[in-house]
Amino acid sequence: MSVHTAADFLLLDSGASFSEQIVRDGASDPSTLVLDQYEFATYDLLGAAHRFLIIDEFIDQELMLEQKEKIEAFLNQGNILVFSGHLFRPWIPGAAPFVPKTIYNHLDYTIQVLDHSIFAGVQSEDITYNKGVAGFFARGHHPIPEGAEVILRLAGDEPITYIDRLSTQGTILVHAGRNLLRYRHENNSAGRIGEQLRRFLYEEYDAMPIRSVRI
Amino acid sequence: MRKIAVLYAGSSHQYRSFTEPKYQPYIAQLLYLPKLASIDLNAFDVLIVPSQIHQEMVTMHMEQIHAFLNSGRIVVALGAQHQSWFEGHHWEFRPTNFWWWREPEAKSGLVLSKPEHDLFRYITLEDATWHYHGVFFPRHEVESLIEIENDGSIMYIDKTSTSGTLVLTTLDPEYHFGSYFMPATERFLDGFLPWLANGQI
Repeated sequence: MSVHTAADFLLLDSGASFSEQIVRDGASDPSTLVLDQYEFATYDLLGAAHRFLIIDEFIDQELMLEQKEKIEAFLNQGNILVFSGHLFRPWIPGAAPFVPKTIYNHLDYTIQVLDHSIFAGVQSEDITYNKGVAGFFARGHHPIPEGAEVILRLAGDEPITYIDRLSTQGTILVHAGRNLLRYRHENNSAGRIGEQLRRFLYEEYDAMPIRSVRI
Repeated sequence: MRKIAVLYAGSSHQYRSFTEPKYQPYIAQLLYLPKLASIDLNAFDVLIVPSQIHQEMVTMHMEQIHAFLNSGRIVVALGAQHQSWFEGHHWEFRPTNFWWWREPEAKSGLVLSKPEHDLFRYITLEDATWHYHGVFFPRHEVESLIEIENDGSIMYIDKTSTSGTLVLTTLDPEYHFGSYFMPATERFLDGFLPWLANGQI
């Protein structure tokens, strides 16, 4: 199958009921193509001209492991992968399996927001708590590859979210929680994340050095 | 001891829940959903359909799953899924209240509708109490085990709508345990899986 599309974002649909909102958002966004995860193996990812591959926590990681080389080749074209979830199979270059955090107290879930455009203006309490309950946002971390930039941490300094520009010629963003693009419906500062992430992805794509070589 | 198989679609929470060492004795096999058609289900007594699984892929295999059920075996469906995979459950969505325990005079609303049932030798009401995503109003004669006060059932056993046994719940313990979230779900699985393996169903 060879499809040329103008959609910058390719969102893989894991088919789970808790992904339905992000799939609906994607389907109504002209810059996003939603693709069922089980069509990914036959999909011409490298010829489709997407810039951003978006994968969420319910994704079939057995399938992703089978497609590992295609994903790496996509990154080496100077593209960007955003994975939000808990890794247990080695399909992301440089990434390590998820390490759950031992929780003694709800304060262990407190998020440290570091200085980065994706989280500009986002208050820690707005992502740490939901109706006063902590733990929705992140409950562990992925040990980072060498040279990765950490942009969120848990109370004990565990890196929840990182950006890796070294493992491939593209950029990899790994977040140990739910899909960051879905944070756009909240009526507090957490709702800034989705749009700020999109803006960051375009800036990151334009700034990637490989493209100046290619042109 | 019944042989329990679980539909598996490669999600991290399914992997964690069903490969957890303490649950291993109760799980005979993970059945990779995209390959289900090539697997002989006759080797098993119980099939678990987890929550947060690729719904369309489950739908594609319903004929095989119903053949298993109609051969007199047990199908267990967990969690937040309103699909019409099993007839007559009459699911109604309920908004999730996960913060009920922080409110004054906190009350989950859950009640045991059949406290003498064998399941409750394995779990308590507290072990089934975190939140739920919907309620059932089953249209067949069923044994309702856990209900919401003045509302529908959130867990029941149906031995009448098919030739097999359906255990349906709107609870999603394997999603939360597998996502490292909500400790009651671990206590639920600690009792529920041994009950499925050895209890009176």
